[in-house]
Amino acid sequence: MMLAGARQGAISGIRRVIATAMSRDLSAFVLPGPAVARSRGLDLAGPHLRVVGTPRHAGVLIIVGPIPEGLRDAAAVVFAQMPRPRAILALGAGDIAPLPAADVSAPLTQEGLQSGLAELRRVVAAGAFQPDAADFTAAALEVRIEYTCPMHPEIIRDEPGDCPKCGMTLVPRETSAAGHRGHGQAQTMSEMADHSGHEPKSGDSCHTDHGDTAKDAAYTCPMHPEVVSDEPGKCPKCGMTLVKAGSEGGHGHKGHGGHGGHSGHGGHSSEPVDGIEPHFMSMVELTKDQPRSSDGLQMEWIEAPFGPFFPGLPAGLHLSLTLDGDTVAGSDARSLVGMADLPGGTAMAPGQFVDHLAAMQSSPIAYRALACAAIEDAAGIAFGADDRRARAAAIERERIASHLSWLAEFGVQTGFLWLAGRAGALQLAVQGAGAAEIAALAGPIGRLIRRVQAAPLMRMRLRGIGRVGKDRVAWGPVDRARGGGSDARSDDATLKELGFGIRVRNGGDALARMMLRCDEIDQSIGLIATAGTLAAPMLADVGVVSGEGAASIETPRGAARLTVTLTDGKVTGAELKTPSTAHLALIDDLTRQRELGDALVAIGSLDLSPWEMRG
Amino acid sequence: MTVAIVLLSLALGAYLLAVIERWAVHGHLSLTGPAWAALALLGRESVLARKSDRLFFEIGPVLLLVAGLLAVAVIPLAPGLIITDLATGALFLNAALAYVLVALIMAGWGPNGAYAMIAGWRFLGQFIAYAMLIVMPITAVAMRAESLSTVQIVTSQAQLWNVIYQPIGFVLFVVAAMGLAWLPPLDLPDATGELAGGVEAEYTGARLAVLRLGRMTIILALAGATVTFYLGGWLGPWLPPWAWSAIKIMFVAAAMLGVGRYMPRIREARYLALSWKLGISLALANIFIVGVIALGSGPIDFRLGT
Repeated sequence: MMLAGARQGAISGIRRVIATAMSRDLSAFVLPGPAVARSRGLDLAGPHLRVVGTPRHAGVLIIVGPIPEGLRDAAAVVFAQMPRPRAILALGAGDIAPLPAADVSAPLTQEGLQSGLAELRRVVAAGAFQPDAADFTAAALEVRIEYTCPMHPEIIRDEPGDCPKCGMTLVPRETSAAGHRGHGQAQTMSEMADHSGHEPKSGDSCHTDHGDTAKDAAYTCPMHPEVVSDEPGKCPKCGMTLVKAGSEGGHGHKGHGGHGGHSGHGGHSSEPVDGIEPHFMSMVELTKDQPRSSDGLQMEWIEAPFGPFFPGLPAGLHLSLTLDGDTVAGSDARSLVGMADLPGGTAMAPGQFVDHLAAMQSSPIAYRALACAAIEDAAGIAFGADDRRARAAAIERERIASHLSWLAEFGVQTGFLWLAGRAGALQLAVQGAGAAEIAALAGPIGRLIRRVQAAPLMRMRLRGIGRVGKDRVAWGPVDRARGGGSDARSDDATLKELGFGIRVRNGGDALARMMLRCDEIDQSIGLIATAGTLAAPMLADVGVVSGEGAASIETPRGAARLTVTLTDGKVTGAELKTPSTAHLALIDDLTRQRELGDALVAIGSLDLSPWEMRG
Repeated sequence: MTVAIVLLSLALGAYLLAVIERWAVHGHLSLTGPAWAALALLGRESVLARKSDRLFFEIGPVLLLVAGLLAVAVIPLAPGLIITDLATGALFLNAALAYVLVALIMAGWGPNGAYAMIAGWRFLGQFIAYAMLIVMPITAVAMRAESLSTVQIVTSQAQLWNVIYQPIGFVLFVVAAMGLAWLPPLDLPDATGELAGGVEAEYTGARLAVLRLGRMTIILALAGATVTFYLGGWLGPWLPPWAWSAIKIMFVAAAMLGVGRYMPRIREARYLALSWKLGISLALANIFIVGVIALGSGPIDFRLGT
């Protein structure tokens, strides 16, 4: 047996022992994330399997379900960042290109995970070291060498040679194959080299144009900035003497430094300043073109990725923060997975449409119920009180599970590990539980909630963080935690019968949101107990009818609204509004000029779901 | 011989601590787990980040280990069982642990990555919070013992342990020690949910193994210091002195590792504010109170003409 990501080396006695150790001690990085794994019913907390927060410390990549198109490049970066020997365990993932073929594939169930891990241990023990290990480089990390003319930057060749315009020898420079950076979960800016003797070749574009442009553009013409030369001389266009280029010359990305790490390594040259010896650790020179912080200090800004697989943040959320020291100066957030496309023009069978909408990973039952309700409204089907109650209870069960999942991720984010473990275990227990089992879980869940709300340092950690003003658009718990009244359940006759009354907290900060989610877990347990029955929504037989229908469901993240058009029993048109898209717009306000940890907690407290967003 | 015994017990202690840490972080209690994990780490490739500051990257973890070992050198495990009984032992401990800051900033700067670099500088901020609160409680301890020798400090507690004599100092010292060893909830430099491992984020393989061993040594040294300064060192009935030292040190280390599980990480600004506004006031009060008691009951006789 051979491991795809084996480490190069002849098999010897000591290596056999080490390979055995690796098979006993599996450290895993989970894709897209531990929260997704839990929502699929996987319990990752088992003996001799440690889930780690960075691919650098992982030996196994566990892939849960199919990788969405938008995450494939990032997944490849994660794998490239893992030190060898590295292995892939794919659970119901199907095709995982551009990653190499999985070492072990298993179905996406808890049994599949167990048998897959057992198989993986055998594979690792046998094949961790190979005399001829295959190499893997992620396209997004690859650095290409290209050749350009110092005089004519428009000339770019793959091979060394002479410039066709002026005959000068072309000079090499690094460029990224993928064209842009910031994919990986962890440090895409520090690259992998020293791959057990391989040539240093995988790396990413972060630094590529850090030093070379400044070096290449050492001299330039004051009249013709496109003229650059390594050596002093005359401008070929106007004959003027070339002058030393300022560091702005040729840098395509001034404004903020962009590259992680160290200022001044590139050796920016600039106008000499009186009384300061040029080029020697001059802060004036080093900071000349750096952006200014709000406090007036100049320093290099760093753009660092915090997604799409960052521990404690929603998987699939691309988040890039521009950091001024450890203060957030700007943010770029978007979803890399996106919302499922709705049928436009093409007809879809109602059952198919319901499954399609339920594929929104974060809250499948709520979206299934939403699709059913809208179609039934269009078809004019009415339900009995028992069915409606059972369906409402299923949505409340999902709310409990979703809020518990959020608590677990919040625990990971803030280092509250007891909470992370306990809330995750309870989430697994609640998912798929019947009304009676949930009544039995009410005790442990209640104790968890009380303990979280009273935990030392909790108020200190969350108060005043991520305050959402009343003037901003917000839904669901984010709105109710600032004293707002948006809750689709308020208009629902079924929930009124169950005794639903809206829960509200004041403050609008991360603390209020945390407290409100705890309140809602408690409330949902009560609602399920009153309903006494619980059943996942099933679509009734629609028949060949036409019409328009609409429905609103309060998902765990806020109200989702769907309108559908039925033509002869087929869904021909649909429009869906989800809460998370509006919350994405809050990120910039919530993070600007905040300390990094505060900014991340603020983003986490919104409970975003990239699967419910538009790009 | 003494050196060998101390180093051997240090290795044993570090291993037990790794078992405890595994339980605290991942929830598995396994006696063999850390051994497999360490072997696996040694077998994994040790990636060198491109464009890293090679010197800093290599020296950081080693310096951390060295700082820990130097600190251990002045911790007495039993009468006579100490690597070097310096007359200025308590001061030397401070000096050795000052290199933790240097090591972490080097390890943070070295790999040329944003998470690690922010983590390194974060620790500089953390240093400003904990540094005074390490030194000031030690001052009060030395005042009672009338010596900076760690052996003298232990023997000075024969009648009454310092944890009862100066409880404020004990609490301040333990909290500051947790800051120094960046243990949760003061783990700002390797916060997984904020910096994906921070200082450790770019280290893999053997280099990571050294970094983790260095940290274990630091934790043990600080637990040893806590026991020496406040819990009466090797003093105790029935059991031999070394056993008391071992039990107390492992207990303190386990408590320092385990407590962070039950609370969220503190905010950086909050930590600084609390340390300076509350912590230093309390530390000054502690010195004052201990001074008054020492003057009242101590062997120094200031009453002239009697």
